Amino acid sequence: MSKNNVFDVLIVGGGVVGACVLNKLTRIGKKCLLIDKASDVATGASKANSGLVHAGYDPKPNTLKAKLNIRGNKLYPKLCKRLGVKLDKCGALVLGDDETQLDNLYQRGLENKVYVEKWDRKQILEKVPDLADHITCALYARDAYIVSPYFFTISVADEAVLNGAKVSLEEDLVSVEKKDDIFEVVTKKAIYYAKQIVNSAGAGYNEVAKLLKAEEYPLEFRRGEYFVFDKIKDFNVPCTLFTMPTKLGKGVLITPTIDGNFLLGPTSTESDTQTKVTSEGLDEIRNKAQLIVKNINFRNAIRQFSGVRVISGDDFVVEKSKVADGVINIAGICSPGLTSAPAIAEMVTKLLGFSLKEKENLKLLKKRVLFKELSKAKQIQLCKENKNYCSIVCKCEEITKGDVIEALNRPIKVASVDAVKRRCNAGMGRCQGGFCFTKVVAQIIKERKIAYEQVKKENRGSEVCLSDIREVNND
Amino acid sequence: MIKTDCLVIGGGPAGMSVALSASQNGSKVVLVERDEVLGGILNQCIHNGFGLHYFKEELTGPEFAYRFRKMVEKDKNITVLLNTLVTKIEDQKVEVVGSVGRETIQAKAVILAMGCRERTAANISLCGTRPMGIMTAGTAQKMVNIDGKMPGKDVVILGSGDIGLIMARRLTLEGAKVHAVLEINPTSSGLRRNIMQCLEDFDIPLLYRHTIFEVVGKDRVEGVYYGQVDENYQPIQSSKKFLPCDTVVLSVGLMPEMNLASFVPVSRVTNGAIVNEYYQTSKEWLFSCGNILHVHDLVDNVALEAQQVGKFASLYAQGKLPLQSKPIEVAHTKDFGYVLPSVVYEGEGEVEVKFRLKNKVVKKTIVAKCNGVVLDKKFVLAGVPGEMLKLSINKNGAVGKIELSVE
Repeated sequence: MSKNNVFDVLIVGGGVVGACVLNKLTRIGKKCLLIDKASDVATGASKANSGLVHAGYDPKPNTLKAKLNIRGNKLYPKLCKRLGVKLDKCGALVLGDDETQLDNLYQRGLENKVYVEKWDRKQILEKVPDLADHITCALYARDAYIVSPYFFTISVADEAVLNGAKVSLEEDLVSVEKKDDIFEVVTKKAIYYAKQIVNSAGAGYNEVAKLLKAEEYPLEFRRGEYFVFDKIKDFNVPCTLFTMPTKLGKGVLITPTIDGNFLLGPTSTESDTQTKVTSEGLDEIRNKAQLIVKNINFRNAIRQFSGVRVISGDDFVVEKSKVADGVINIAGICSPGLTSAPAIAEMVTKLLGFSLKEKENLKLLKKRVLFKELSKAKQIQLCKENKNYCSIVCKCEEITKGDVIEALNRPIKVASVDAVKRRCNAGMGRCQGGFCFTKVVAQIIKERKIAYEQVKKENRGSEVCLSDIREVNND
Repeated sequence: MIKTDCLVIGGGPAGMSVALSASQNGSKVVLVERDEVLGGILNQCIHNGFGLHYFKEELTGPEFAYRFRKMVEKDKNITVLLNTLVTKIEDQKVEVVGSVGRETIQAKAVILAMGCRERTAANISLCGTRPMGIMTAGTAQKMVNIDGKMPGKDVVILGSGDIGLIMARRLTLEGAKVHAVLEINPTSSGLRRNIMQCLEDFDIPLLYRHTIFEVVGKDRVEGVYYGQVDENYQPIQSSKKFLPCDTVVLSVGLMPEMNLASFVPVSRVTNGAIVNEYYQTSKEWLFSCGNILHVHDLVDNVALEAQQVGKFASLYAQGKLPLQSKPIEVAHTKDFGYVLPSVVYEGEGEVEVKFRLKNKVVKKTIVAKCNGVVLDKKFVLAGVPGEMLKLSINKNGAVGKIELSVE
């Protein structure tokens, strides 16, 4: 082991938290490696959630959740601007029919120093004309934002790589030994050396903690199911609409997404780590939707998905391991995890014993601008310069071949159809990849110079085809 | 800006046929196709059974497309723009991206001929995980017939639409084992000949009133829980069984997608535009034909319909379409799925009305009446919802409303 091969910090787990930690540590000049077993970053809870940057009125004051949520919320606008990631400051309303409940929530908001207002039905109706009849009041939180959770995570990780960090995917941890204050991390692919290790493995936290001989925590998994709606504007939802828990139980939320769709959900069911949708879950959402706005037409739903949140007690765990020196434990990052991630990164940086001061002359990520987002004049010009932009791959989302090529040539190199989808929205429209799936596969083959059989939908084991025709052995 | 008389969107059978007809009726035509070749979905339908009505011989999909393509290529009044996608339609101006770069095309008449798309897993709220191996029959067909790749070797097909039936046979011929075709309805929407030639000949079971309850598998499909449904299409849990497989092929219906022209009223039944006798939508310059108007049973019928519409659009572009007289509503009893067009105009001559039955009928007569007077009737020996039927109505003297009924 030469000195050059030793990473200052090795991060296990490439969700939004791991990516933010990687980004921050790289920016203060540390040599870092992030490993993940998946074929892309943001394939767990970070890709399947509501995509909300919470204002912070909700968490119990003085908890880690409250502190990190509020700090994270403050960090987002600047961070997204730097990364060129869209953030819509649309605000949020928490709808209800009980003034006392509203008062409690309002007080909590004030305690957490979040900008909140109390609204009556008339005020809400001005913003939300299709409001359900029973709603009488709402808490308005000005500083609630929407963001693409996966594109944010990808961009955070990409920016780190651009500035010298290393991301290695499809890594399986075998063993971790500490020798002379240096961790020897053995994976099925390679041996890595690191001075400190951050466990941000999400649902896999305990498996990693075991290898690190660090604290394990009882983890609870909760599945949240969602409907995604087409961009057709049947009804007007200009901001995130939550519902207060009522006699009828905990409600669901409806929110615009940064791409112009709507999300409706989530349920919250005790589960294993399987991300599946169930008829019970979908029915629950269908029933509860009426308690928010009227006239939701489920014929316009273009997808249903679920994500699994990892919960460890009432609060987040972000701490220095007391039993494994040099290890940082991050566990139970459920909601508001996406919001808190940049703040968790700062906290981890301090726990690792570093200052938050960033290096100078860091590189900026090239801002993603999809062809469809350009003005007509710029589209005409781009088409003349590069024929790839004249060729539309995904017709529902109007994604060009040029957009797909850009997606495949970002700092982190990916080779799966879903990874392309998360980077440029190809396949995210109403036909759900019916037309573009094989076209995206063809582009991956070309850019990565791999065989058809090596292209995956998502992770290892999800290869898009088995063989050429007539080579199937079905004995 | 490109200017033309008629702009046809879509270069499949409907688009090629409508373009040829518009040209033959004296118009300059621009035909826009998003793919690299004309032919649309026919290019991947390498099985036979096409052209029996139109060409009076049995052709494969690519052969059927080839005949039209040759005619289009020879026609000097038709300009074909390949690799070109329409992104917006607004007041006779159409925005495109493609081989001509980023352009605007202005046309006197615009004809929608984009075909339809397959309904997805989301459209039927398919439960379970989202691994590799769940795909529409069309995607599976493209992988096998165009890319030469096998999507899987142990297959369950959900839905018995024609493409699903065709793919059951196709995948079997390529070495896969198709374990079952599950159909939630008591009858299949697929053609009888396809059920015989694609399933029965290969001993593939077709289970009516069955559906998938849940797809299982993390990265790759590992199997499905399936079973029977009751009269309300609710799963009967006691019938639930597990069937290991690596691929789920969906053939759960086709639907026109009118998002490009969302400004015109659409039928809740066909999902296509509501049109009059001349196949004009609510915008008189915007015409519709083929599967974007209503999903057809046979490509031959698509080509024939498009041929009629090409004439109307061409006449309109030249200002020669007959002035519209008083409208007559075309109504129908509950025995019909839909009747099209929904409006015809008072005057002389015959008008062709197309319809689909809601349920199977045996030895019945379809009657078109106006104020109690029978205008036309047709005896049906055995009519099924899967089949598109036609009736020629002599509209002389008809006013107000024509109603179709089954007697």
